[in-house]
Amino acid sequence: MSYDYLFKYIIIGDTGVGKSCLLLQFTDKRFQPVHDLTIGVEFGARMVAIDGRPVKLQIWDTAGQESFRSITRSYYRGAAGALLVYDITRRETFNHLAGWLEDARQHANPNMTIMLVGNKSDLSHRRAVSKEEGEQFAKENGLLFLEASARTAQNVEEAFLKTAEKILQKIQEGVFDVSNESSGIKVGYGRPQGTGARDGTVAQSGGCCG
Amino acid sequence: MKKMDLKGVVGLVFGNENSSSNEDSYVERLLDCISNGQLADDRRNAMAELQSVVAESHAAQLAFGEMGFPVLLGVLKERDDVEMVRGALETLVSALTPIAHAKLRANEVQPALMNTDLLSRDGQSISLLLSLLGEDDFYIRYYTLQLLTALLTNSPIRLQEVILTIPRGITRLMDMLMDREVIRNEALLLLTYLTREAEEIQKILVFEGAFEKIFSIIKEEGGSEGGVVVQDCLELLNNLLRNNASNQVLLRETIGFDSIISILKLRGTTYSFTQQKTINLLSGLETVSLLVSGGLETDPGSNNNRLTNKTVLVQRNVLEHLLMLGVESQWAPVAVRCAAFECIGDLISGHHKNLEALASKSLGDEPETEPALNSILRIILRTSSMQEFIAADYVFKNFCEKNSDGQKMLASTLIPQPMSITNARFEEDINMSFGSMLLHGLAMSEHDGDLETSCRAASVLSYVMKDNIQCKEKVLQIELESSMPSLGSPEPLLHRMVKYLALASSKKGKDGKSTTPRNSYFQPIILKLLVTWLSDCPNAVQSFLDSRPHLTYLIELVSNTDTTVCARGLAAAVLGECAIYNKSNEPGKDAFAIVDAISQKVGLTSYFLKLDEMQKSFLFSSAKPAQQRKPLTRSNANSMAEMEDIEENETNDINRNDDHPMLSSMFDSQFVDFIKKLEGEIRDNIVKIYSHPKSNVSVVPAELEQKKDEKDGDYIKRLKAFVEKQCSEIQDLLNRNSTLAEELASTGGGGESRCSGGGGSERVQIETLRRDLEEVSQRLEMVKSEKSNIESEALTYKNMAEKMETDLKSLSDAYNSLEQANYQLEMKSGGVGVDVEKIKEEAREEAQKESEGELSDLLVCLGQEQSKVEKLSARLMELGQDVDALLEGIGDDAGALNDDDDDDDDEED
Ligand SMILES: Nc1nc2c(ncn2[C@@H]2O[C@H](COP(=O)(O)OP(=O)(O)O)[C@@H](O)[C@H]2O)c(=O)[nH]1
Ligand SMILES: [Mg+2]
Repeated sequence: MSYDYLFKYIIIGDTGVGKSCLLLQFTDKRFQPVHDLTIGVEFGARMVAIDGRPVKLQIWDTAGQESFRSITRSYYRGAAGALLVYDITRRETFNHLAGWLEDARQHANPNMTIMLVGNKSDLSHRRAVSKEEGEQFAKENGLLFLEASARTAQNVEEAFLKTAEKILQKIQEGVFDVSNESSGIKVGYGRPQGTGARDGTVAQSGGCCG
Repeated sequence: MKKMDLKGVVGLVFGNENSSSNEDSYVERLLDCISNGQLADDRRNAMAELQSVVAESHAAQLAFGEMGFPVLLGVLKERDDVEMVRGALETLVSALTPIAHAKLRANEVQPALMNTDLLSRDGQSISLLLSLLGEDDFYIRYYTLQLLTALLTNSPIRLQEVILTIPRGITRLMDMLMDREVIRNEALLLLTYLTREAEEIQKILVFEGAFEKIFSIIKEEGGSEGGVVVQDCLELLNNLLRNNASNQVLLRETIGFDSIISILKLRGTTYSFTQQKTINLLSGLETVSLLVSGGLETDPGSNNNRLTNKTVLVQRNVLEHLLMLGVESQWAPVAVRCAAFECIGDLISGHHKNLEALASKSLGDEPETEPALNSILRIILRTSSMQEFIAADYVFKNFCEKNSDGQKMLASTLIPQPMSITNARFEEDINMSFGSMLLHGLAMSEHDGDLETSCRAASVLSYVMKDNIQCKEKVLQIELESSMPSLGSPEPLLHRMVKYLALASSKKGKDGKSTTPRNSYFQPIILKLLVTWLSDCPNAVQSFLDSRPHLTYLIELVSNTDTTVCARGLAAAVLGECAIYNKSNEPGKDAFAIVDAISQKVGLTSYFLKLDEMQKSFLFSSAKPAQQRKPLTRSNANSMAEMEDIEENETNDINRNDDHPMLSSMFDSQFVDFIKKLEGEIRDNIVKIYSHPKSNVSVVPAELEQKKDEKDGDYIKRLKAFVEKQCSEIQDLLNRNSTLAEELASTGGGGESRCSGGGGSERVQIETLRRDLEEVSQRLEMVKSEKSNIESEALTYKNMAEKMETDLKSLSDAYNSLEQANYQLEMKSGGVGVDVEKIKEEAREEAQKESEGELSDLLVCLGQEQSKVEKLSARLMELGQDVDALLEGIGDDAGALNDDDDDDDDEED
């Protein structure tokens, strides 16, 4: 239960790109082909090890529909990381990325780390957005980038972990004022501030009590 | 104030045109001064005056609503004069606060509500107010929070919607929790209102770290020992967790439940429970309850979540603290003890591990320890508080539900002990087993006349036996010594319980008082025990019926108008069980006898009506699955903390014939469902049993046949008797049918109102009756035709037998005359002279020839008859008749015939 850091994530992007599936794959290690449409916001949590340090990830999966935008916007400011997801088989979800970024810039903490995820990489035969385009967009906007599949679990773990690594790196660079709650970062109880990595064995399971 | 004095009381009455126009113009003047006054002081004075007039006068509030908002919102936008901003906020608060002493006429709009509507309709103004929370001036933040709270109080849903649309709106409010104390406390209240039944807002608050903040404030304020702020924190916490699985998961997975459990930990001066501490503990107990209570009817996801919550809470030792609050702390107020029991009940419900955890808990210090379940039982038997009994009873109910191992464990200790041992000081005896304590409680009525204790024990006993045939059988074996052993042999526990039932219904208690509300629940509880016991347990039914008066008493109870609807209905249910779970063949005690007794002494319609009325009574209709307990709020906390006995609250206006309100917690949805199902079975089976009574005459084809040695006359007599019996049986059936039909008619006639309610089951019943009627008349027809068949068959046989007789007679006559002729011929030949011998010889030869011819004719003829007889005999034999006996009447002739036959054979040889 004890952690060095707690990071808050949000997952954003158009409806149907696979946000809820990505969260489920990450927390429960399973894929659910028929998933209820997310209403409002859903929560998931998992403990991970970054550089051998226990880090708790709290993840809020949001509803992509326009009607929930005002609700989901409330989650931007307090998040340290965001997974911005599009569907590589649906061009329009890629085209809408700019709008999502605009929203994030407006409401989020400027230091928020954003990971662009091109989801459904298992459907490459139906690909409508090339990997290069994704890479290009990420580069232009200062985002991390991965193509992933919630179905095969490919790169799902990485998407969440790489984001956490980046946040940790920013903390070490002193970018954040970690005592400010709105950064989406919390320092764990009794963590030796500033000292190096400790014993880094951490259960990689979704929650302690299943 | 000045203003009001001028106008007098009449002017204050809303709707008086004159006065309201006065108010209008006064408010208008003040508003004009606020926006256009040259001197700051004038503007400030006008604001102060406006505030006071709006706070006092109904009409002014109304007038303000029509023109004031743009002006004051303008002041809030400009923000150049702090004092004006404060004044404007204060005025707005007044405009939204209903005036306490103003009396509204019906249909009249409450101006404070109208003003709320005007202000909250505009998202812009709410945004503006939220932005004021960033002001440095303390009062501005303070009044803004008050204003928002007023808006929320009057129009919660509207404001919740608006706030969700404002970016970072909730975040701003959350930030107020970090403000100085007065602001923080005000913000807590505001957030409490804001989060009521608003799932998305609850989630955003939690995202913003509300849990951490709440727990840190609680800790800072001293946990359960803290003041009203702790209470507010817990109310907010409970709002965030109520029906919100997502937030429950977050709390469990990231912060854990320890902070909640530590609120329940008693420390320091455990004998002192102030009102505030009581409320804080109750709030903390409500938190636990929110995490674990709820029925199984909700979706499986949230059900799993609830199970996980139960697991984690018990892993973190919540049971110990709950037992401390419920059982061990002698100073904990009743309300706290009850809430602790309810939490324990919820924690173990449907959770196998937790059931075991509770069963293995011991209380007290070594060596004086006893199982926690025994301590809880002792409380059930001893407490003077009805609520505490109900709450502790809930623990046993949940412990036994679908826990046959647990039931068996408890039942295994039910071993009667000699009165002398159990009599003494059981209250102190820590070594007493669960069973001895329970039996002792059950026997209390006998020596102390303490029916209440026995009733409570009966309630626990019914859980131990519920749905568990082994336990039912085991308890059936228990016999109790009578109070005066010299007077009687031990009696079965079951019989003792019926005795108590009768005791409970006798109007006068031992003190001569008539039935008080307090003991009006005795009967239903004992009946509940019997209904539970007899269900699907023929041996229990048998034991119940072993004593004749039981049935009589039960029947009386069903029709007793002095008792409650529920008692009558439950008695009817027990009676029904005596019929449908009856395996007895003993006449007078079998199912048919019970049903006959019901129909004769109560009447089937009236009987079913009792069951119906019970279903419609408030106890049954109001039982909802997993009722959610009422949230503890600031407004009801005090009364919740000072829980009093239901009895005391209800005073004396309980009608003797109404059911006790406490029963609604004992008659939970499971029991109500059980009774509903039972009622259906009773209805189906009783009608079936009644319309198909055990036949006295069974229609076995073989019995219709003539017996071997049976004479025709006897056979016909027997058949006649048989047919008569059937006739009377048919008559009986017809009577039953007409009874049913009459009941049907009277139900249909008098029961138009019932068409809606009981219509379904009524129709089913009518349908069943009609089918039965048809069946019976078909059977009647069948029996009739069978009868005529038999009669005609008998006649045929009779005719046949007669014909055979005459045939045989003519045959033997013919033979006789032949013999005669022969003889005469012989005599003639004997009387002739010399050549007599020769002539004789010739004559004999001739005669012999002649007679031989005749004989052979005769023989042919006889042979034909013989084969006829044989055929007939075979036929009769086939039909199962004793041919020899049948032929007895003509046997002599037949015998003679046979003899002659033999002779003939000899002669032929
Ligand atoms: N083939 C494939 N289908 C996916 C993948 N991720 C999600 N889906 C499907 O896409 C649909 C939408 O997924 P969902 O997670 O509900 O999208 P959300 O609206 O963004 O939360 C569902 O039918 C999923 O089964 C993936 O990686 N590969
Ligand atoms: Mg979704």
